Amino acid sequence: MSTAGEADRFIEHLFRHQAGRVVARLTRLLGPAHVALAEESVQEAMLRALQTWPYQGVPDNSAGWLFRVAHNAAIDALRRERVFGDKTEALVAEITRSAAVTLSEPDVEEQLRDDELRMIFMCCHPALAREASVALSLKTIGGFSVREIARAFLAEDSAIAQRLVRAKRQIRDQRLTLDMPSGSEMAARLDSVLEVLYFMFNEGYAAEEGEDLIRLDLCLEALRLGRLVASASIATPRVHALVALMALQGARLPARVDDAGELVLLEDQDRGRWDQRLIAMGFAHFDRSMAGQEVSEYHVQAAIAATHARGIDPATVDWPVILSLYDQLVALNTSPVIRLNRAVAVAKVRGPAAALDAIAGLEADPRLRQYHLLMSVRGQLLLDLRRTKEASESFMAALTHTRNEPERRFLRRRIEACDR
Amino acid sequence: MSKFMLLLYDDPSEWAKLGPEDMQKAIEKYMAWSKKPFTVDSQRLGQDAGRVIRANGGKPRATDGPYSETKEVLGGFYTIEAANYDEAVARALEHPHVQYGGTIEVRQLYGS
Repeated sequence: MSTAGEADRFIEHLFRHQAGRVVARLTRLLGPAHVALAEESVQEAMLRALQTWPYQGVPDNSAGWLFRVAHNAAIDALRRERVFGDKTEALVAEITRSAAVTLSEPDVEEQLRDDELRMIFMCCHPALAREASVALSLKTIGGFSVREIARAFLAEDSAIAQRLVRAKRQIRDQRLTLDMPSGSEMAARLDSVLEVLYFMFNEGYAAEEGEDLIRLDLCLEALRLGRLVASASIATPRVHALVALMALQGARLPARVDDAGELVLLEDQDRGRWDQRLIAMGFAHFDRSMAGQEVSEYHVQAAIAATHARGIDPATVDWPVILSLYDQLVALNTSPVIRLNRAVAVAKVRGPAAALDAIAGLEADPRLRQYHLLMSVRGQLLLDLRRTKEASESFMAALTHTRNEPERRFLRRRIEACDR
Repeated sequence: MSKFMLLLYDDPSEWAKLGPEDMQKAIEKYMAWSKKPFTVDSQRLGQDAGRVIRANGGKPRATDGPYSETKEVLGGFYTIEAANYDEAVARALEHPHVQYGGTIEVRQLYGS
């Protein structure tokens, strides 16, 4: 033990990540039906740390301490609750063996990564609804609390808690296992994992609330899990494409909000604030995504993000390339939101009038009728054409369709610009 | 310099609501306070409810805890140095324990 106070800071998110891997390990030992018991044991270990470390000092190997104490808490619970009947002692012996490992050893690390990977694959089982998969992944492998998940999804704590209870019941009722799927089932499950991770990332990325760090954490967790999948032997080029996309887009997060908490458009961002480590990571995975012939939606999205990242400043961004990538993307995914993003590229290459034509069809789409970004983009195009009165009306319409404060301030500044 | 004892009572129901990240932040705050130079000693008490000795009909007898109706339990204590009571109280007020639903009792060590 170090004396009290020597270490008063830990590795960032140490507890969260440690919680995730120990829950994965204990769930593997206890069986997926007992994931709640695994979570309680980990919670107990963290509570024990909170109760003792401030007085006795932080143990030299705090991660190992949490790992061991959580195992012991599981053993105590097994003996107390007797849910396993006469299998109890055999299970206790197995948990005791698991508790004795040395965390830093490479084969132990490998084992724990494998536990986490199996856990992700189970959480993303098609029997579970996507929202349930995301919440369950964040809670079990991500080490997020119910409150944090609720905040990230702008939901009530009780709604998330219920979602998790239901998901765990489904795991039990449908007897989901931690076995990795094989054959064609593997490809389908991998797709489902990628979809869940992409959804998790977008939830964090899409809401432009800079002051709420939990959303950044959501993006980074999706990226961490993506990298975990990418490091496994089952990874396909598509996995690397998604990781590249998340890393390259995630790199821009620090620049999306300025010091005053105001929203900054991609064009106006201080590129010095882009995370160079993530950009490098993104390009490395982008290269690996090129193996094989497949061009997935993730590939094209990653290519767009990479093209932005290659520009030294907004003037050097290769917009014709971005536009052609959007053309490819529209062929793969007919989502009106993608067509709206394409219109922004059209404006850069062919001017605002052509872009207005490009979004004309979208305005009739019922899915976008309430979509403030469509109105906002339209306003900007009209402003560029000096049709200020119509531009102002468009921004005002956007204003009535968003409750996000930084975004509202941004729109008000645009409306003022129309009056000038 | 006088010595004071800070008795920390825990409210476990408040802690049960914390997730891993909150726990880590809490420990970091607690540790930052603990390493302040005025801390002389700190001890955590055992997890159990303890025993209490009382005379029962003139005969000393041990009984198991808990002894009070409150949900709070004495979790541990610090001994700190301070010029006077006000300073000791000011230091206790900075302790994160109270933010997490706990209670701190400040007592001067007699004659220190």
